[in-house]
Amino acid sequence: MANWIPLWLHKLSSPPVFYRFAGTLRPWAIALALVLGIVAMYGGLVLAPPDYQQGNDYRIIFIHVPSAWMSLFIYAVMGIAAFIALVWRIKLAEVVAMASAPIGAAFTFITLVTGSLWGARMWGTWWTWDARLTSELVLLFLYLGVIALYHSFEDRRQGARTAGFLALIGVVNVPIVHFSVNWWNTLHQGSTIRLLGPSTIASSMLWPLLTMMAATKFYYFASLFGRVRADLLALESGKDWVRQIAENEVRR
Amino acid sequence: MTDTRRPGLGHACMAVLRRDLTLAWRQRGDMVLPVLYALIVTSLFPFALGPEEALLRRIAAGAVLVTVLLAMLLALDAMFRSDIEDGSLEQLMLAPQPLALMLGMKILAHWLATAVPLIVIAPLLAGMLHLPPPVIPVLLLALLLATPLLSLLGGVLVALTAGTRRSGMLLALMLLPLCVPVVIFAAGALAAAQEGLPWIAPIAWLGAALVLAVVLAPLACAAALRIALDS
Repeated sequence: MANWIPLWLHKLSSPPVFYRFAGTLRPWAIALALVLGIVAMYGGLVLAPPDYQQGNDYRIIFIHVPSAWMSLFIYAVMGIAAFIALVWRIKLAEVVAMASAPIGAAFTFITLVTGSLWGARMWGTWWTWDARLTSELVLLFLYLGVIALYHSFEDRRQGARTAGFLALIGVVNVPIVHFSVNWWNTLHQGSTIRLLGPSTIASSMLWPLLTMMAATKFYYFASLFGRVRADLLALESGKDWVRQIAENEVRR
Repeated sequence: MTDTRRPGLGHACMAVLRRDLTLAWRQRGDMVLPVLYALIVTSLFPFALGPEEALLRRIAAGAVLVTVLLAMLLALDAMFRSDIEDGSLEQLMLAPQPLALMLGMKILAHWLATAVPLIVIAPLLAGMLHLPPPVIPVLLLALLLATPLLSLLGGVLVALTAGTRRSGMLLALMLLPLCVPVVIFAAGALAAAQEGLPWIAPIAWLGAALVLAVVLAPLACAAALRIALDS
């Protein structure tokens, strides 16, 4: 009775099934990302009180922190998908890994830019060679390396597997970024939000942050689904199900 | 039943090593290029920063380290190129001996042919930038541990780009993030030595990383090559 989950997952890894699945979920993900994003923006920029030390400048964390979380989360997703692609040779996993890379790179870039904007006001410098900043920069280079390696192959699938291997090598960096503020005594502040135990952040500031985190997650899924659908169509362009979709488009 | 005509593992390793070293020696001009490159880059620093001795002494260790790294990056591209072009790498992949071991030998040969000349010339580079003589043994030790580490990491990445046409810039983009820790520890040891502080801890870290890489990198290199060339 309980084996419907593996069966369903197995079915989902077939490109036409995933294409339809992603097509159904994508509008919902976009809508949720928009609504949650607007609510979080209102909560963070209007409702939350100014910080007693940083005034209104701290409000950039409502973009910075969720982006930083996403930059690591997406790398982890990419690493897991690349591992699945290399071990079980599932085509969908290759596509998911490679479609994640540009989104993750964008979030990493946003993290670095917002961080340096905040740093210019608070630390008095745009950039400092601090452990967390440097490791986040290395993360950006890893993303760019994966993207560049993927595009340097003529055969998409081979490029995806090769770039996936590079992504797996780079997974070493994810814990380094995450724990850098604990391992080294850095300028960057430690984390104030904990899964276990009480967070050291006021709840009026916490809820917009968590809402924004959910919004970025939904945005990631919406963007990922769109990219995966387009890639699947390109990859399977000779197959029957793609031809059927094309014919339906023409008829309409 | 053992086949007596099949060469043993040690024999095969030596054969690969001897072949690669002979090939490198026959093209001595290519071996000299990274050394010339390092000399030119080092001689550019005094022009760019001004010839003040105090300033040069402060940047000398780091400048030599980065110069050697870039010179190695220049030569890295060629590690498997001729073998892919003439098909001998595919023969190596089909050979009964474990591919990882054979690739390890190829990386060793590449290190002997490109990094050792750079290490030999490193005291001269350091002297050009007025590095204090007591620091030079530490520099050599750091380079002796850091360059094989770079060769091993580079070998994995070269294997990944084996199936592509243009790989020079790509290799730099991929290698530079991975070699950040190597540079940090090597530079840490040199900075400590220059200040007269104990420098053994970062050197020990480099050694530990090298041991790890010697075990894992050839395996990763073999896996990467099988992925990149399988079509």
